[in-house]
Amino acid sequence: MLHRRAFLTTTSLAAASLAAPGLLRGARAAETALVVGVPLPISGAFAANGKFAAMGAALAAEEAGAALGRKVVTRDIDTEGKPAPAARKVQEAMGEGTRLFAGGILSSEALVMGKEVAKGGGVFFTTAGADEITGQECNRGTFRWSVPTYGAIAQTVRPLIEQMPQAKRWYTITPQYVFGEGLLTAAKAVFQEKGIEHVGNSYHSLAEKEFSGYLTNAIAAKPDVLLILNFGSQSSDTLRQAVSFGLKKRMTIVLAWASGLEQFEALGPDLCEGVYFGAQYWHGVDAPLNKALVAKLRETRKMSPNYSFAASYLLTKLLIDAATKAGTTEGPAMIKALEGLTYAGLTGEEEIRAADHQVIKNYYLLKGKAKSAMADKDDFVDIVGSGKSFLTPEAAGCKMT
Amino acid sequence: MTYLFQILNGVGLGMLYFLLAVGLSIIFGLLQFVNFAHGAFYLLGAYLAYEMVERGASFWAALPLAALAVGLLAGLTEAVLLRRIYKQPHTFHILVTVGLALVVQEFVIIVWGPIGGNLPAPEALSGVVILGDFVYPEYRLFVIVFTAALAAALWWLLESTRLGAIVRAGSESPENMALLGYDTLRINTAVFALGAGLAGLAGALAAPIRGVEPFMGVEALSIAFVVVVIGGMGSYAGALAAGLVVGIAQSLMATLWPEGARLVIYLGMAGIIVAMPRGLFGRA
Repeated sequence: MLHRRAFLTTTSLAAASLAAPGLLRGARAAETALVVGVPLPISGAFAANGKFAAMGAALAAEEAGAALGRKVVTRDIDTEGKPAPAARKVQEAMGEGTRLFAGGILSSEALVMGKEVAKGGGVFFTTAGADEITGQECNRGTFRWSVPTYGAIAQTVRPLIEQMPQAKRWYTITPQYVFGEGLLTAAKAVFQEKGIEHVGNSYHSLAEKEFSGYLTNAIAAKPDVLLILNFGSQSSDTLRQAVSFGLKKRMTIVLAWASGLEQFEALGPDLCEGVYFGAQYWHGVDAPLNKALVAKLRETRKMSPNYSFAASYLLTKLLIDAATKAGTTEGPAMIKALEGLTYAGLTGEEEIRAADHQVIKNYYLLKGKAKSAMADKDDFVDIVGSGKSFLTPEAAGCKMT
Repeated sequence: MTYLFQILNGVGLGMLYFLLAVGLSIIFGLLQFVNFAHGAFYLLGAYLAYEMVERGASFWAALPLAALAVGLLAGLTEAVLLRRIYKQPHTFHILVTVGLALVVQEFVIIVWGPIGGNLPAPEALSGVVILGDFVYPEYRLFVIVFTAALAAALWWLLESTRLGAIVRAGSESPENMALLGYDTLRINTAVFALGAGLAGLAGALAAPIRGVEPFMGVEALSIAFVVVVIGGMGSYAGALAAGLVVGIAQSLMATLWPEGARLVIYLGMAGIIVAMPRGLFGRA
């Protein structure tokens, strides 16, 4: 007979190994190659994002290798989406000589990796969203491409309030960790400024999969707008369940931080139709570098780039270009090459702000279109707005160290 | 009024949790076998139903077919692989079934990709029931009714039929059953297939609510274990009661203390372990 204590001990051990198999894939670089470490959640709940991001980084390395005539490789590092393994594995990679890192999808893992890389004299370029990354926790070795929470709210909530002056009651659903708090704080500030009644908020944990309870709360508050502030599969689950509760017919649904194409593919056009999405990137953006990437990917891989792929591609490309310009991968020279750089990016002209290492780029407001209106299988949304909204480095609280 | 709806919502959740856990409980109760591949069978059930509907099949056909396919596959796995390790220590059971779960998970990623998909609720149940200011999806109501009917049928099968008696006797004393001329190996295979088939059914039923994605099995497994531990390992009534308790508690907490809605599941499990070490309905 299996005893309860033995059952619990062994099952918890096994559960841990199931949830985090720690798959480590990717190239082990030769000594002479230019190596870009790509620390991403390749296993766990955010693995889908990690796998596309790894592909994007690999493409950038492949292109650079061909252009430069030298070996350029990426080294995939599975962060498991958790700060502790992320920090440990990045330390290991630095111990083996890697100085350049492009990755970090979750804010919690990105914050610790940025610190580790900066401490070790390297450069870390990330897409994670928490304000602190280029705010209070900024450091000389960390750069961030994606628009932080302030800009995401400014480019989604603000224009929608102007478009829908009659929608005065907003309800929010928020994951309780740094990223969610950042979005919620920014949203509350806009609500207050615009005279919007914030009729309620439901916090939930980062592991939550079931949102019906929170949606019941939202229904009870009778909002005009449901603002979903979580990310990845959680935001897909929230939206799917909100639609099943008939909320699309009762209120406007806004998902402030969508992952773009990969998320729309998982949801399908019926769920996306009429829903507003905030996004860092969309393959339909009219920018030369983006058009070239889209054309190449459609020709070679029969796919359109999604956010994870495109962002990782760009980060890796920026690091390789800077290393080539600097003639080294060591931190000080790399930082000098990147600070203040203006370049033709995936969202048009982009600039790496020297004071806080935040890339100044567009954020997009998208609206899901009907299946019948889609021009091709990836044409899920229309771009209904875009713009650049950023706190000043001082207001963001960045004191560069 | 909000609380009333949270309870209704909790019942819906609880029935789904019951269906998830009951297969695990049956397998544990009758085979004394800790099956960490249970979540993988749930995952497969969801994806098979999704694939069939994507290829044009009706959801009503996909639901039983997915469960049946998972049951058959599980039966085959039991006959070829798992029965060889029954007599080994439980760590072997865990090692092999965790490995099996990872193989299934990677298989799903290879075949269907890392991005999930959406399986819409059948047209006839895609609406909502409106009750005053509140709404409840018709499909979730169907899940409650369907699972309740299934629970009754399973109860009858295990408690009131000759087959059920053979299965229960097989779990109590396989040697005596073998002496009486029963093929206990076949009974074990059938029980394992039934338990896994129920997980597959739960996956197919949950897919219109949760969508499908390659890591859904891990979450399902953790909920199933919590329900089995609270209800009492191997107890059918315990799985039902614990499923409902967990579902209602989780849903009510979404109003009372939203941040703790998920935490309460695990706190509840810890509390039960301290207060009632064998679970609500566990056998001595």
